[in-house]
Amino acid sequence: MATKQAQPGQIEITSLPVPQLQELKQQLDRELEHLTTSFQSLRTAQSKFSDCMKSIAQGVDPSTAGKPLLVPLTSSLYVPGRLTSSTHVLLDIGTGFFVEKSTGDATDFYKRKVKDLGDSLKDLEQVVNQKANNVRMVEEVIRVKVLSAQESSQKEGRGS
Amino acid sequence: MSEVQKKLQALSDGYQKLQGELSTAVEARQKLESQQQENSTVKKEFDLLDDEANIYKQIGPVLLKQDKTEAVMAVNGRLEYIEKEIKRIEGQIKDTQEKSETLKMEIIQMQSAAQQQQEAAAA
Repeated sequence: MATKQAQPGQIEITSLPVPQLQELKQQLDRELEHLTTSFQSLRTAQSKFSDCMKSIAQGVDPSTAGKPLLVPLTSSLYVPGRLTSSTHVLLDIGTGFFVEKSTGDATDFYKRKVKDLGDSLKDLEQVVNQKANNVRMVEEVIRVKVLSAQESSQKEGRGS
Repeated sequence: MSEVQKKLQALSDGYQKLQGELSTAVEARQKLESQQQENSTVKKEFDLLDDEANIYKQIGPVLLKQDKTEAVMAVNGRLEYIEKEIKRIEGQIKDTQEKSETLKMEIIQMQSAAQQQQEAAAA
């Protein structure tokens, strides 16, 4: 939580007029939204990698070597197939490169990916929380300002 | 008065154009950054592979087998190119920012001058 004391290079937000504060809040909201979307896409990516791991663990195994399987061509059309290799898989490592790996190495690869993404998620979570705090603080200042402006105008109304 | 307004209009048009350029440049930069990220993860992955590993490169719908050295070279080349591009775009962003800043100052000056004139005329 940022301190309310003005530090060198920082602007005391309580000194800003309400319209500027509202602009600031909008900007913060936009940033927060962007960060939350990034957070969600990271989550999706992570769960996709976990699914890959599960698929390897369940599907590609010496015990399934001889068994026939159905390969989905579309969501409703399948053709029967057979694994040519139950020990090696081909994985997309990005930018159009594919690497042949043993199932163990492939699982390690996905584990690493999931862990890296988990780290990024943790970092991002902190940033998101910080931003959310900032938004709350600005909201609070706006609320106080609006309230005090109302009060003083009421007083003026009574005084005259 | 209309002379001033015309000038102001031209300046603010220019400013808007610069802002547009700035946002395209920033977008391009972001795209490059994500490409850099992707390529460096691929490079890291190559570093972990042994030289005997089978690497395939996707070209259209087919996978072509490639030597590890070749693949590493391709990725390194791409990373170099991306780095250069990022530097270039960053220069562009800085230029545009400076230009739009000076233009903004000019607009503000003109506006306040016009206001003063109006006030003087009213007085």
